[in-house]
Amino acid sequence: MKDFRSLRRAGAWIIMGILAVTQLYPLLWLLLYSFKTNSEIMSGQFFALPKEWVWQNYVDAFTSGSYLKYIGNSIFVTGITLVLTILFSGMVSYAITRFKWRYGNAVMLVFLIGIMIPIQSTLLPLMIIFKNMGVLNTHLSIIIPYVAFSIPIAVFILSGFLRGIPTEIEESAMIDGANIYRIFFNIILPVMVPPIMTVTILTFISIWNEYIIAAIFLSSDGLKTLPFGLNSFVGQYNANYGAIGAYLVLGALPVVIVYFILSDKITKGMVAGAVKG
Amino acid sequence: MNGVLRVGKWTLAVFVLPCLLFYLAFVFAPIIVSVYYSFMEWAGMGEQKFIGFENFRVMLTQDPIFWPSVLRTLYISGASLLQIPIAIVIAVLLSRYVRRANFLLSSYFLPVILSVVIIGQLWKAIYNPASLGGMINQMLVTFGLESWTKTWLADSEVAIFALCFVIFWQYIGYHVLIQFTGVQNISTDIYEAASIDGAEGFKADRYITLPLLSPVIKVSTVLAVIGSLKAFDLIVVMTGGGPANTTEVISTHMYNMTFVTFKYGYGSAISTFLVIFCLVMTVLLNLAFKRAEEAAS
Repeated sequence: MKDFRSLRRAGAWIIMGILAVTQLYPLLWLLLYSFKTNSEIMSGQFFALPKEWVWQNYVDAFTSGSYLKYIGNSIFVTGITLVLTILFSGMVSYAITRFKWRYGNAVMLVFLIGIMIPIQSTLLPLMIIFKNMGVLNTHLSIIIPYVAFSIPIAVFILSGFLRGIPTEIEESAMIDGANIYRIFFNIILPVMVPPIMTVTILTFISIWNEYIIAAIFLSSDGLKTLPFGLNSFVGQYNANYGAIGAYLVLGALPVVIVYFILSDKITKGMVAGAVKG
Repeated sequence: MNGVLRVGKWTLAVFVLPCLLFYLAFVFAPIIVSVYYSFMEWAGMGEQKFIGFENFRVMLTQDPIFWPSVLRTLYISGASLLQIPIAIVIAVLLSRYVRRANFLLSSYFLPVILSVVIIGQLWKAIYNPASLGGMINQMLVTFGLESWTKTWLADSEVAIFALCFVIFWQYIGYHVLIQFTGVQNISTDIYEAASIDGAEGFKADRYITLPLLSPVIKVSTVLAVIGSLKAFDLIVVMTGGGPANTTEVISTHMYNMTFVTFKYGYGSAISTFLVIFCLVMTVLLNLAFKRAEEAAS
């Protein structure tokens, strides 16, 4: 009986180990790949440490790839998107759950439908609308759809949270004659920090990584966000394998660093987002 | 669900309108515009010509790529569902045999947070021929299975499987994490009570764990189906729908028609179909869940 138990335990660890190797090995492989010379990559060893660590790949990637520029663009675009998404959806969620008005449910429904609309279907009309507005190929042309498509899930999470907290404080504050904007910014927003964290994490991961919208609406190299810049680099230097590997590692680096620092918060936020979405 | 605070019209407008109007203007209005374009023959430049339902007729009856791409979309959704049983097994094992599951969970989860561009380009490199440094082919050569080597993404018979595997690889960690959270939320008292009644191990899993996981299984199902509808950008990065259109799904077909061959009207017709398709899938999914719940109770 005891043998059987330890056998089962070993089996369990083997299964879990296989999955861990499958998930991590490709990433480790990329890291090794990024330090090899082209001839070493093509020589046919799927598992080998680089004979010499070729830092030149990173120098190539860094100098010919406007890496810092793309990161700066990504930080700017993601930052603005986060602020606008949270402000817009926070206010609307507050109105839906707290104000006495007739169309609260209808407005909520309109936002819920948005969760199911595929973003791809809006690409062409948005491109034409932005062309007419004269904002195509500016950061505004990607921030607008980023915010618009982040709103539904944010409203859903924030209003779900607000519905669960009592209203007495606000009611008495109202009776005392406090201004509703003060109540919202001074009392409600601080209480809403946990769901706002969830929204921030979900929005950050999806916007920081977004590729298609940026690739269609932007064309100047100086405006590209990291995923778009990365893809253009790969297309341009398609024969320099080591440098491509290095650029992919550099591209993954920011989000991986954030993940190492906040991994618990990120996994919890993503699960909460999935469960509520 | 209606609130209690009485506020004036202006206040209400300040709270609701910026968000609502912005959202309607950039999510709903484009969909309506897209429906309008779908009745036009229009190549981007020059005149738009109204042609009624002609685009839809061509799409449904003459386009050799359209129906296969619809089937492939369903196929990828179905294949994605296979992640769920695997994730449940792993989640149960994790909670039973690992005291600190954090390291394993984070390593499973890491691919979830990476951009499709990184994942797509990484796997393109992995699938390369051995002579160009491809990992899988080099592995096969090393183990003496040279006859199994393939140009995975350029072979019309296997490209779609190669793509599905990447989708698996990216999202399995998400599903494990969701199921693990579900397993953790089941109270240990239930298992103790069950073991007194003689239900342990697999028996306990079958009659206790599985039924109690049904809410998170629902979450995973929605995520897998919606996620595979969104697999669009991965396919654009990795194959663009090729080789010979064998990895084309509805959204890549729309994308190629619109942004590669500039048939704006026709692309919009596919896009309209895609919106309807997504809404119908959501309704069907909800119906299926209702059925399952009724059957269970």
